[in-house]
Amino acid sequence: MPPSFTVDLEAGFRGLIEAAGLSPAASRLIWLPLPMLLVLVAAVVGVLVTVWLERKISAAAQQRIGPEYAGALGILQPMADGLKLLVKEDVIPARADGLLFTLGPVLVVVPVILSWLIVPFGQHLLISNVGIGIFLWIALSSVQPIGLLMSGYASNNKYSLLGGLRAAAQSISYEIPLALAVLAVVMMSNSLSTVDIVDQQSGAGILSWNIWRQPVGFLVFWICALAECERLPFDLPEAEEELVAGYQTEYAGMKFALFYLGSYINLVLSALLVTVLYLGGWGFPLPVEWLASLLGQNIDAPLVQVVSATLGIVMTVLKAYLLVFTAILLRWTVPRVRIDQLLDFGWKFLLPIALVNLLATAALKLAFPAVFGG
Amino acid sequence: MPPLADLTELIVFVLLAAGVVVGSLGVVLLPNVVYSAFLLGGVFLSVAGLYLLLNASFIAAAQVLIYVGAVNVLILFAIMLVNKREPMADAPGLGLRRLLSSGVCAGLLWLLLRVAYTTPWATPGPTPLGEDAVVRLGEHFFTDYLLPFELASVLLLMAMIGAIVLARRDVFASDIGTGEAADQGLIEKARSPLLIEKTRP
Amino acid sequence: MDTLAQSLNAGAIAPEAAILVALIACLLADLAGERTAARFVPPFTYLGLGTSLVLLALQWNQPAAPSFFGSFLADNLAVAFRAVVATSTLLSLLISWRYVERAGTPVGEYASILLAATIGAMLLCGATDLVSIFVALETLSVSSYLLSGYMKRDARSSEAALKYLLVGSAAAAVFLYGTSLLYGVSGGSTDLASITEALTATGVAPLSALALVFVLATVAFKISAVPFHQWTPDVYEGSPTPVVAFLSVGSKAAGFALALRLLVGCFSAFEAQWQLLFTVLAVLSMTLGNVVALAQTSMKRMLAYSSIGQAGFVMIGLVCGTQEGFSAMVLYMAAYLFMNLGAFACITLFSLRTGSDRISDYAGLYQKDPLITLALSLCLLSLGGIPPMLGFFGKIYLFFAGWADGQYLLVVVGLLTSVISIYYYISVIKMMVVKEPQEASDVVKSYPAITWVQPGLQPLRAALLVCLAVTAIGGVLSNPLFTWSNQAVEGTPLLQSLISQGPSVPPA
Repeated sequence: MPPSFTVDLEAGFRGLIEAAGLSPAASRLIWLPLPMLLVLVAAVVGVLVTVWLERKISAAAQQRIGPEYAGALGILQPMADGLKLLVKEDVIPARADGLLFTLGPVLVVVPVILSWLIVPFGQHLLISNVGIGIFLWIALSSVQPIGLLMSGYASNNKYSLLGGLRAAAQSISYEIPLALAVLAVVMMSNSLSTVDIVDQQSGAGILSWNIWRQPVGFLVFWICALAECERLPFDLPEAEEELVAGYQTEYAGMKFALFYLGSYINLVLSALLVTVLYLGGWGFPLPVEWLASLLGQNIDAPLVQVVSATLGIVMTVLKAYLLVFTAILLRWTVPRVRIDQLLDFGWKFLLPIALVNLLATAALKLAFPAVFGG
Repeated sequence: MPPLADLTELIVFVLLAAGVVVGSLGVVLLPNVVYSAFLLGGVFLSVAGLYLLLNASFIAAAQVLIYVGAVNVLILFAIMLVNKREPMADAPGLGLRRLLSSGVCAGLLWLLLRVAYTTPWATPGPTPLGEDAVVRLGEHFFTDYLLPFELASVLLLMAMIGAIVLARRDVFASDIGTGEAADQGLIEKARSPLLIEKTRP
Repeated sequence: MDTLAQSLNAGAIAPEAAILVALIACLLADLAGERTAARFVPPFTYLGLGTSLVLLALQWNQPAAPSFFGSFLADNLAVAFRAVVATSTLLSLLISWRYVERAGTPVGEYASILLAATIGAMLLCGATDLVSIFVALETLSVSSYLLSGYMKRDARSSEAALKYLLVGSAAAAVFLYGTSLLYGVSGGSTDLASITEALTATGVAPLSALALVFVLATVAFKISAVPFHQWTPDVYEGSPTPVVAFLSVGSKAAGFALALRLLVGCFSAFEAQWQLLFTVLAVLSMTLGNVVALAQTSMKRMLAYSSIGQAGFVMIGLVCGTQEGFSAMVLYMAAYLFMNLGAFACITLFSLRTGSDRISDYAGLYQKDPLITLALSLCLLSLGGIPPMLGFFGKIYLFFAGWADGQYLLVVVGLLTSVISIYYYISVIKMMVVKEPQEASDVVKSYPAITWVQPGLQPLRAALLVCLAVTAIGGVLSNPLFTWSNQAVEGTPLLQSLISQGPSVPPA
């Protein structure tokens, strides 16, 4: 055990197994799938919670009660929904392209789930601290439109095709300001790694979060993230009044469930990334070191470390769900934009704003290296 | 650990290489152009995988972002927006042409293989930088590759402006100098306007 | 920081920077609307190109230090070819304004795309690094595709752009494959100096031969040498005429500069091989270009084939690899600039007045429009190589250099095809001059009254007169041009080292 104790689950777990007499290779083999499974489970649970929130909040916004019989306050309702989709008949339309029809939803979901690789819940609490971190997420999210186009095309239905095209157009238009907003943050932290980005925001608690240094970037990122998730007011691809349900029109059963799951996982993921990029990640609004010294505890003590790690996870999830709450509230209170307004807004407003933001960040970084990351 | 890692690497390489080769063949040979376009995306992804195997994760991510996320989506867009399925008559002598072109391709393949096998390659190449690659790329961009880097911005700007000019639907077109109506075509017409005017009473 | 800025030596690309500033100014002026653009864009481009030419003149005969850590070298060769490119852009722009406005297409974007093509071509002339070469090549190519499709409502123009794009992309892919092989040969470096070293060390190997063939194919595509010429006639016919003027001179000059730097420079160990390949290309180009030009009915198509033939003549100088050969090449490029652009100014003016470019429509033109007749006749005679025009001295210098180096085949083919070319050039002149008034074409019979009042015609006239004057008088006063082209070769260390080590001993 290292002298200053940190919560490193991998080392702890493998130490435990190796103590039981297994070789390091075997312990590694056993460890490898665990975080992935854990994050997968976390993502799915996150989706269930989000769906429940969506139902409850929409009900509140419309002065209804919402689900209430399945479990206390209806918290089991999303499970029931999922179960229903699971056992529904899987219909492939007669003149659809079966192969692409099946592959489409998969291509939509897989990149989103893969992106969870880089979401940190604590200093060592992430699957892989890859150096290209946030860039990996941007790259992976650009694969999604292919899946959307594929399912739109394979459905052999004009609404589906239009929905797919709209989804792809929207996705590639909003990816650019999104990437530029991320770039401004990356410029300040001198690293693409999500852990470094969060570390750079620690120090002075809430005051050192990026949202104060990047208010414009934060807004641009959040708007683009909503557009990437196809959330209202940007849910053009599935605008039911115009396109029935867009690229999802012909889907039923588990394949539809994949789309559904994908969009909600993406929402939670976006909220988590906003947390990481702008809201200090796992950081507590007050510096943990300061709190520990206030309570007269050594920050390196095992107990304090465990408490602070737990606090980190709680903080990350809390911040993310605050954002999810905002997104849901937006969905049920804001009207939908038109497709031309959407594209105009993306190309003619967000893109220049994001570019100026990037330039301003670079200038501020040169002028005040202490504040904007030297 | 090394044998396991090596074996995994080999298997992954074979899979990715097969993906690239089979995918490219599919792109060229499949009659349905939409399938070709989707397969092209698969080829790009496999290439990104090969970059990952070479420990160049940034390049791999950039490959995915640019080729899969932008180029391939654009190709699909173009195909789907003009998806007119017209039965096209086969060109005359198609069989012979195919035979000839496959002959040429096979010859080229043989040539390339021969070159690849006769050349004493300096293996292994430089060690991969891994995570430091991003920093090194940045340094190169601002020192010895500054000129192409900046020139690329001119290139992209011009490509964007040109694409917009060509795609823009002009509401009106007139000669700015004289105010006459113009047709945005070549001045050299198939038939001289002078003669057309003359025949008109 | 200072040391970095010094070692970049960015002053070497100041001429390109001037053009870039003009480009941005054009785009900004264009924001204010078409009318403002039509008024302010021409002076901006003149200013940018003029400044660029002045800056180039200042670089002349300066000791060339590599800039951008070996990405660019402003030696005399680069300066000479860049000057040719910039002048060709300036003259093409002068003859463009009326054409572009008459067609109702935006002027600001036209000028900026052409300026971008110029920047690409100029950087290509001096680039000494594979990546820079490729990016410059693509800047030139992409802008050229856009310009050939600029008359977007015309199916011929779109066809030209599409053909150019498809063939050009294939050529770019081949070039990339070739450069990747070179990158492999040099063990992971992209600058031409280390590649030269590596190629000399490995000697003739299948790998380097393959790289040579691939790179050569691209260069041949750019200078439209037979058999890589198929795109040329269609693209020239479908592109706006002033664009063709730029493509036939500026783009080609950049191609030759690339050939000198990449093939002659890097593959000096393969001299016999590339000389053989270029001999074949030159013979084919001269023969096919000039023979097929005989059968053309469209003026632009005829000039397209003639430009293929002219590229063949220039290649004679390239094959020689001697001081005379190289300087004859530079001289002929400069001469070709003026005579070809003069011809294009004439046919642009003719098509503006009549809307036609058929050769038969020129019949009897001398009675209606003596200026076009005179200028076109002189330029075509010069292209054919009739004394005392500028073209004659250029050609004679090329043939002399070829003969001195023992390239008898090339010189004989060149002489024979020159005669053929004179035949079709003269037939155009005969069409214009000799016909009786009643034999004039219908177009000429209804020829409009000559005015120069329309905006944009005055610059066209100026370009026409400049080209005419240089073509006609330049031949007699060609001594400065000879010194200039000799200096261009003398002030280029790359070429000097080649000439000094050159194994080609002229047979007695």
